[in-house]
Amino acid sequence: MVTTTGLPAPETTRPRSLLVGTMFSCAAAFMFFCGVIGVYILKRAEARDEGAEWFPEGVVELGPSGFIFWTLVLSVFTVQWAVQAINADDRINAYVALALTGLFGAAIFNQMWFIINDTGFASAADNAQFLFFIVNGTFIVFLIAAVVFVALTTVRALAGQFGPRRAEAVSSAAVAWNTVVFMWAVVYYLIYITK
Amino acid sequence: MTMTDSPPAANTALAAASPRVVGLFDALTTTDHKRIGRLWIRSGLLGLLAATLVGVVLTIENSNSSPDDVFGGINNYFQYFSLYRFGLVLLVVAPLFVGLATVVVPMQVGATNIAFPRAAHGAVWLFMIGAGTTVVSVVSGGGWGALDGVTGAEQDAIALTLAGTGLVIVSLLAASVCVATTVVSLRTSGMNLMRVPLFAWSMLVAAGVWLLTLPVALSNLVLVYFDLRGGPRTPESFGIAEGSNAIYSQIGWLVEQPQIYAFAIPVLGVLGTIAPVVAKRRHAQHVIAVALIGLFGLLSVGGWSQPWFQGDNYDEKFVFIVFGLFAAIPVLGSIGAAADTIVGRGSDGDPDPGADVGGERGLAGLLSVYGLGAIGAALLLLAGTVAGLARVIQPWDLGDRTTVTSVMNLVLFSAAAAAIAGIWFWAPKIGGRELPVSTGRLAMLDVVAGAVLLGGADFVNGFLETPAFGYQVAGSSAPLVAEPSNQGFVEAMNVVGAIGAVLIALGALAVFAAMAKAMRSSGAVDDNPYGGQTLEWTTSSPPPPGNFSEPPGRVVSEAPLLDTVNENGEEA
Repeated sequence: MVTTTGLPAPETTRPRSLLVGTMFSCAAAFMFFCGVIGVYILKRAEARDEGAEWFPEGVVELGPSGFIFWTLVLSVFTVQWAVQAINADDRINAYVALALTGLFGAAIFNQMWFIINDTGFASAADNAQFLFFIVNGTFIVFLIAAVVFVALTTVRALAGQFGPRRAEAVSSAAVAWNTVVFMWAVVYYLIYITK
Repeated sequence: MTMTDSPPAANTALAAASPRVVGLFDALTTTDHKRIGRLWIRSGLLGLLAATLVGVVLTIENSNSSPDDVFGGINNYFQYFSLYRFGLVLLVVAPLFVGLATVVVPMQVGATNIAFPRAAHGAVWLFMIGAGTTVVSVVSGGGWGALDGVTGAEQDAIALTLAGTGLVIVSLLAASVCVATTVVSLRTSGMNLMRVPLFAWSMLVAAGVWLLTLPVALSNLVLVYFDLRGGPRTPESFGIAEGSNAIYSQIGWLVEQPQIYAFAIPVLGVLGTIAPVVAKRRHAQHVIAVALIGLFGLLSVGGWSQPWFQGDNYDEKFVFIVFGLFAAIPVLGSIGAAADTIVGRGSDGDPDPGADVGGERGLAGLLSVYGLGAIGAALLLLAGTVAGLARVIQPWDLGDRTTVTSVMNLVLFSAAAAAIAGIWFWAPKIGGRELPVSTGRLAMLDVVAGAVLLGGADFVNGFLETPAFGYQVAGSSAPLVAEPSNQGFVEAMNVVGAIGAVLIALGALAVFAAMAKAMRSSGAVDDNPYGGQTLEWTTSSPPPPGNFSEPPGRVVSEAPLLDTVNENGEEA
């Protein structure tokens, strides 16, 4: 029998602090997003009530933003694939799924850059263009945060820190990622579809 | 086979083996929640002293109706007026409660540290940077808008104020995540949410409300900031171009009902925790108190009540009126539950009247600093919510009168009084020493009496048709006090308000004096000098690193120490 003295015993329960903290943080981030999007809706309604044009015709196109939406839909599957794989202790699949999710994030960032350049908007032009930048900028900030979260989780997964009994970080990254996807669903509908 | 001999929470031996580093390096690197909490509390107390001094000058200025006497112009008055309001909320009350919670909540739920200690530590330093930036930018001519239009260097200073306020809000959000996560996920065995001590529960509710509402304020600030820094700046955009108090008016919902109540939710938690200690028995209505605190939190969600969402007359909307009408109910109910605990018959689980549960019994307990503070704070909060109720009664037409200021002062100084009571109560756990009683009583009476005078004067003036300053500054030439129906009486009430502000400032000075006196004192402090009933009183004063030398046993009620007393009594 080997006896070790002075070493802390393993935790009897696994407090899911990271998951709970991520949920609280996502709730706060979503409320920030609601604050911005609420003002966007109101200003647009005011402009329409006055009979003014919100965006110039044909400038905000549906195609590129649709690509982002469907890419994000795909990423929901990959991030949940990662959660499933880590719970099943299937590390190879977890690495691939996390890497794919990060890659989708980078692709979306690239597409956002294209959209913003393509519109040729100037933030000082009017309320519509200013709010276009603010709403999309807010989304980009949260997207970057989610990509960083997924990247860190991937690195830690590669270091072998996760397994079936320690999958909390991957689940937390998935929660953050899905929050960002939901944000884009709202943006896509309100800005790009209904314009 | 491998055996491990040391239990999870027995960290004392490990902590003792590592050298203890103190001073600035420690302040910059610590992950001990007690030290982080002390940084928050010190920042909040410093803010309290500064805010009360600004308050004294503002009320003296109010009592002679010319803005040029002290501030050299209405624009400067407006800057300090708004600094006082936002400062009281964001730089005083919120950090005081966050500090108390950072120290006390992990121990109350039986945790060895706060959740995400590095984030909690980063938050306090971000707060200091944000608070410093805000104050310096206001003193340099910034603030939340300018009455005579935003121009030149003033624009930079205002942008800096907005950035500083944003940093403060981000830091409070980060700290809220840490506190809320601690309560949700780090509770000890057997402690379900109904057994969480009322202060920890109130901080969970408060942190939840802050997490849902402060980001909305942050989004307001971001929009105004970027409008200032490259936005359209049209009269129809976000307030900058209007050359008025539009920025203040937009984010003023933070310091008005119902949102202002969100910063006073822990008042009910402090009351609910201290009342049973004073009574030497269990809380008579613990479950009801839990529900009432939750209800008060629900009625204090205020992100929706802002001009962008509701228009300028948002205080005449149905939901606003409903929130105003009902907010007093949970406060009254909480006070009733505390009164039932103190003077009622008690319950089956109470310790035997002869049992030694520590602390002073009866009137002595009520007259302790924490007893006075908890009860005084709760009554102030009740007065504030009743003033808020009066504001929403439409026939009285108090929506743009000084009643608004009355609600703010009563609620925020109720929160300050509760925080001071909490600091006195948990001082053995915060700093390992008791704070002086006589100075504490003086401070508490000063703050409570001062708040009554300050809030009461504005409340009376509201009925005399005195417009609130924030509602009359759209034009730069507006007088500080318009022509109310009875100018002489209004000025007399302003003098009363100024006396109240002076009393509060004296109270804040007394708190500092008591702290200084306690710093010089030495001597051992009992682990549980007041007869506390929750887990933080099972550990030593000051608590060791890791909080508990032995992991807390399974909790079976909301007052685990009384369970221990009863068990010992039965054994005896």
